[in-house]
Amino acid sequence: MDAFQLIGPSILASADALSAKEPTIWGLAAYIVFVLLILFALMVYAKKGLGVRVFKNPVTSLFEQLYLFIENMCVGSIGQHGRKYIPMMMTFWMMIFVGNIVGLLFPFTPTADLSFNLGMALIAVCYVQYEGMQVNGVFGHLRHFAGPKLPGAMVIISGLIFTIEIISELMKNVSLSLRLYGNIHGGHLAVEAMNNLGNKIYLPIGVLVLLLIKLLTCLVQALIFTMLTCVYLSLVTHHEEDSSDGGHGEAAGAH
Amino acid sequence: MGTGLGLGVGIAALGVGIGLGLIGNGALQGMARQPEAIGKLQTAMLIALAFVELVFLLTVFVAPFLIH
Repeated sequence: MDAFQLIGPSILASADALSAKEPTIWGLAAYIVFVLLILFALMVYAKKGLGVRVFKNPVTSLFEQLYLFIENMCVGSIGQHGRKYIPMMMTFWMMIFVGNIVGLLFPFTPTADLSFNLGMALIAVCYVQYEGMQVNGVFGHLRHFAGPKLPGAMVIISGLIFTIEIISELMKNVSLSLRLYGNIHGGHLAVEAMNNLGNKIYLPIGVLVLLLIKLLTCLVQALIFTMLTCVYLSLVTHHEEDSSDGGHGEAAGAH
Repeated sequence: MGTGLGLGVGIAALGVGIGLGLIGNGALQGMARQPEAIGKLQTAMLIALAFVELVFLLTVFVAPFLIH
């Protein structure tokens, strides 16, 4: 019962947190100054030139591997024109991964908060809609929702399909955000419960046992969020390439 | 009330566990038969895992609201 009492209020906990400590303008100013300082340091570092010093750096090669990984994911699931979405996917991956990793070491983390995840899912879904409208045009994108073209009185069924598609599109937000939130927050709860279990022998069992599994969860959740965004993008933007591919396939088959 | 909740979540975990096991089973068999398709299979497997996992998470988050 205790676990459920923990879970129940914590979904709505963000509202309480907002009322408990109001953000001041000075906190925001300090944050902005901090970000500007980091940017300034990076620019000074970059202005010295990218020589052997950078390219032989192990950190650089690590990030190159990360870039290759994201590129493979984008090109693999969207197609050749998916190269354009790499920066967006990279941003999502890094943000979620860093947020999750912070959650391993500290009790609080952005990705264990539903509002952060919901904001990120909204950005992802709205970006997918925007890209669909860019590629297919606004009406082409809306026609995409109505399913295949049906003759005569079957228009009613097209309307039904349209409604269901719109609902499923809206539910993408919920599924993306709730999956991330549930995994990270649930991991915290599990670690806490296992720590309580080992209280009597003065051993933090949860940290010892679950930390590695949570590391894996961090990686996989970042991967899944990014990959699902890629899949949504490919569903929306694959139209013209798919038809040309089909044409080639039919031509090859005819030979 | 609490016992019913625990039982319900336990049943949900049981079903989701079976589902995850089936996905892992299928993916592993496919990978063993066709090692060159591992990349594509991993992608599809992870997406399927995410969808099955979501069902359990929905159960866990909806259940506490049902008792009120």
